[in-house]
Amino acid sequence: MFKMLRYLRPYYLQAIVLVVSVGLQAYGVLRLPTLMSQIVNDGVMANNGAGDMGFIIFTGARMLVWTLISALGALSSSYFSAKLGAAIGRDIRDEMFKKILSFSISEIDNFSTASLITRTTNDISTVQQTLVMMLSMMLRAPIMAIGAIFEAVQLAPDMTWIIALSVTVLLVLIITILSIVMPKFMLYQKLIDKVNLLTRENLTGLRVIRAFNNEDYEARKFDKTNTKIRKTDFFIGTVMGLESPLMMFIFNGTSLLCIWIGVTLLEADGTYLGKMMAFMQYATQVIMSFLFLAVLFVMVPRASVSAKRIEEVLGTKPKIVWKKQGGGDRVSAPSVEFKNVSFKYAGADDEVLSNVSFVAKAGETTAFIGSTGSGKSTLINLIPRFYDVTEGAVLVDGIDIREYSAKGLMKKIGYVPQKGFLFSGTVKSNILFGVDVEDEKRMKEAAEIAQASEFISKLPDKFDAKIVEAGTNVSGGQRQRLSIARVVAKNPEIYIFDDAFSALDMKTDKKLREALKPVTKNSVTLIVAQRVSTIRDAEQIVVLDKGKVVGKGKHKDLIRDCKAYQEICESQLSEEEYRKELEDARA
Amino acid sequence: MPGPRGNGQKPKNFKKTLIRFIPEIKPYRTAIIVSVMLSAISVLLTIFGPMLLGMITTSATTSIAEGKGILWDEIIRLVVTLIVLYVTSGIIGYIKEVMLMRVSAKFSKSMREKILAKISRLPMSYFDKVKIGDVMSRMTNDVDSVSMELASTVADIVTSVVTIIGILSMMLMISIPLSLIAIIAIPVSTIFVKRIADKSQRYFKKQRTILGELNSRIEEDYTGQLIIKANTHEKKTLAEFTDANEKLYEASWKSQFFGGLPFPITHIFTHLAYVLICMLGGWFAILGKITIGNVQAFIQYVNQFNRPITEVAQLSATIQQIAAAAERVFEFLDAEEEPRDDEDAILVSPSEVVGEVEFHDVNFSYDKEKPIIRNFSAKIEPGMQVAIVGPTGAGKTTIVNLLMRFYEPDSGYITIDGEPIRDMRRADVRKLFGMVLQDTWLFSDTIMNNLKYGAGKNIPDEEVKKAVKTAGISHFIDSLPKGLSTTIDEDSDNISAGEKQLLTIARAMVANPPMMILDEATSNVDTRTEKMIQDAFSKLTKGRTSFVIAHRLSTIRNADLILVMKDGNIIEQGKHEDLLAMNGFYAELYNSQFADS
Repeated sequence: MFKMLRYLRPYYLQAIVLVVSVGLQAYGVLRLPTLMSQIVNDGVMANNGAGDMGFIIFTGARMLVWTLISALGALSSSYFSAKLGAAIGRDIRDEMFKKILSFSISEIDNFSTASLITRTTNDISTVQQTLVMMLSMMLRAPIMAIGAIFEAVQLAPDMTWIIALSVTVLLVLIITILSIVMPKFMLYQKLIDKVNLLTRENLTGLRVIRAFNNEDYEARKFDKTNTKIRKTDFFIGTVMGLESPLMMFIFNGTSLLCIWIGVTLLEADGTYLGKMMAFMQYATQVIMSFLFLAVLFVMVPRASVSAKRIEEVLGTKPKIVWKKQGGGDRVSAPSVEFKNVSFKYAGADDEVLSNVSFVAKAGETTAFIGSTGSGKSTLINLIPRFYDVTEGAVLVDGIDIREYSAKGLMKKIGYVPQKGFLFSGTVKSNILFGVDVEDEKRMKEAAEIAQASEFISKLPDKFDAKIVEAGTNVSGGQRQRLSIARVVAKNPEIYIFDDAFSALDMKTDKKLREALKPVTKNSVTLIVAQRVSTIRDAEQIVVLDKGKVVGKGKHKDLIRDCKAYQEICESQLSEEEYRKELEDARA
Repeated sequence: MPGPRGNGQKPKNFKKTLIRFIPEIKPYRTAIIVSVMLSAISVLLTIFGPMLLGMITTSATTSIAEGKGILWDEIIRLVVTLIVLYVTSGIIGYIKEVMLMRVSAKFSKSMREKILAKISRLPMSYFDKVKIGDVMSRMTNDVDSVSMELASTVADIVTSVVTIIGILSMMLMISIPLSLIAIIAIPVSTIFVKRIADKSQRYFKKQRTILGELNSRIEEDYTGQLIIKANTHEKKTLAEFTDANEKLYEASWKSQFFGGLPFPITHIFTHLAYVLICMLGGWFAILGKITIGNVQAFIQYVNQFNRPITEVAQLSATIQQIAAAAERVFEFLDAEEEPRDDEDAILVSPSEVVGEVEFHDVNFSYDKEKPIIRNFSAKIEPGMQVAIVGPTGAGKTTIVNLLMRFYEPDSGYITIDGEPIRDMRRADVRKLFGMVLQDTWLFSDTIMNNLKYGAGKNIPDEEVKKAVKTAGISHFIDSLPKGLSTTIDEDSDNISAGEKQLLTIARAMVANPPMMILDEATSNVDTRTEKMIQDAFSKLTKGRTSFVIAHRLSTIRNADLILVMKDGNIIEQGKHEDLLAMNGFYAELYNSQFADS
């Protein structure tokens, strides 16, 4: 957590002002009891109890000045700690976001998107809040404690042991209570997690539970954990309940001790009257400061977890480094070629793809099919360089993609993921997401081809209709059509459809593929599919099994010769149809 | 410590929530009343502290001034009194703390219990409208903040009020003019603080809104990162983010600063009062109007006066927040429940039912404006297989929902073996069906317990093993390190989707009901597993009336009845050949899947 303070560096001037302000604030406050003791000793008790009004007024005026100085310090420290905390939060957030944008998929997969989101949102908020606390209270408490001890020692050295005693007792107490309660707190947290898990199960499994009439069984299971929570709660309560009465006792006991010891010394030295009154106030201040510190030290470890999770992200170096310049010019006959490509995920033993080779030519559709885990999605992800190959090379237009700049390569590629994803904005901003210029004609054409015009024309604001976060205000099929329109508008050399048609009904699917034909006639089209029916017309079908190419060719050839392809067809077609297809192919 | 507390949430109807509270805390009323009294006593006792301390000082100074030396008897008597006061107050305070902690522990336990019980009594339709995350947050955050804060707030109110009154009377007893300073300075500062706090609420709200916007932007950008990359949109995305982040910075430091202002402001006022009291107190002491010990006591009182007042000032915010959380919990607890089963319901038992199902003029809609099933009638003989087909989102599960009585028809009725199911107990109806759904749902428990889930704990392990064998998963289970005792985790990484599906099939086999509802697996399963699932399916449906939600038309051509659904309506029904002959939607569907294009 303390490492996060490095973000203070650009604001060192403000930080210095902050420390000075806190110092002034503390010093001003700490002057007061001493001055009060002077009022008592040299004002009230002066001239054998006759008093010295002039001195009281003079000292009172001095006290007022210190109060004002301290107030100014307090105001300015509030201001600077708020500004600094917010600035650091902003800077970390910026750095985090920039870093994560630079990640390739392997880094994102390592952390998981959900975790990256929490790290950028909750974790940074926690760190920011704790930083503000550190900059205000955590800075103030030690300064106050040290100052108060210093003043107290100067004032009445022979009473200092009272402070030492109180602080020791206080610390022992806090540590003891915490060490008894901490393990139980952990247990408590675990039990709460379990209760949440059970509740979630009850909600997600509502149908199954009802179908099996198992409400009572679930309730009993839940009750077990719930009762454990209550018991843990009781234990924690019994121990923690001691805390505040004991604190009060230490407070009051300290005051009593100050007065009692002060009184015993009073006989020998009359100035102890004022001194013990001031001393009592200093002692209170020291105890208060230590209490604050104790609270903060409980907070810091919690924030440290967040800080660590942030550092993990910031410390990760993206594996894929792009060239600054390279590629990008349109070619008349684009191509994609895999040359003996092997790939395995970082840290994994097994290859996801081994020795894959094929060439996809312009004007042709190349389809990839295989069961789950066959590596077909991974293969497709290698082309936009979401991952780097482990061995071999991926060539686009005959050039290794590692020689391209990000812009240069991406300009050539239109990628449609499995699940249509939209950004908040408008229909228009989503279709034109990959295009630098605003081109109404292009946008409308793209929508038409993607079979999206019809539903767009029914939206209240047509192309200016609002799309909310992640596009949840349009249906899955509409989302998918818009994300296809986005690619069509981009007019790329290479179209990549990662199982993108499965969210569409069969009719739309067919129409859309018809409409795409003229647009893609000079492009390379790559399709990952689950169903044979989607790809049977492809010029080239690549059959994958456990990362290896086990068949390559047209539907007819494969159904005749490729065992893996036969198996897939067999499971998707009825027996008769399959037999008929097979006979046709053999004929 | 002063400063922003809570998140400024307000209940929609404060009074109603408050009244709703009464029956909930009734079981704890004795404990609460006793602890309120105890906390009042405990506070009162400590209030005498500074006064008695002052008496020690006064006694010593006067006796020394009079040349009598220190009167130890008197001082020791005072010291002993003080120790007794402190100790008694501490013990009473402790008892109060423990009592309150227990109340809140019991309260939160019973709240959690009630929420869980409520989940099982709500109609399925409730969960169409409410998100799981929302129920979860009521269960955790809201229950926590209600139970944690409720008990302590009640005690805090009492403690603060008693302290304020006690200190005030003590101060007035010591010196009225000095009290005036304190009375003016401290409440004035409190009003100031409240003003600022109210104002800072505006900044807090703004900050919360901006933070929420920024967070959803982050979520969106991270989820859509592939698209950003594929379109090299990073620069624009980053620029937009930086803008939003800068706005957050502005709102954030302002809310922090204004929210934190009460601290320096009370600080100024308290110290001003302190200084004035020192001066005036000194003056009065010289005049002999006040003893030196009382000046000392007064200063202590002033220092203690500030905190309870700030607490009272913040109380309304805390109470609002509790009420807002409580309102959300109550909203859930008071939601309309499924009507209870009739007392004189027809009793049916799975072993006697043969499985004849008939739909009589059934009408149904999730949303009154959009009727889904219109005048649907069909008779299904025992042992028949019914297939429900249609594109995704056509409402195929609606039929299942009605059969299982997850939802009730708007009009018309369904009979099983001639008896209307609405006259049976829900639990009994559901016992008649085995269900294998597409979202294979397993509990975090052992495989054995999961398989026994439908049949009850008493079923012998042998039955389970038999079902495992029939479902064709004995090999898979044997390959697990602990076999049937292997625990399944929430995410169950060690088990594939296909294996999960097979497990749910085995579960249905163990339960052995007269009728089956099957939801075919879609993609995500490799060819070999798919074959196994199909085999297990046909074993399961043999001799049973079964309803199959089909995604692949090839598997259901032999069904005895095919219901074709589109946009939520049953548009065609009949046998495969008849439907093809009709050349309607089914034929179109079928051809698009199989015929050569």
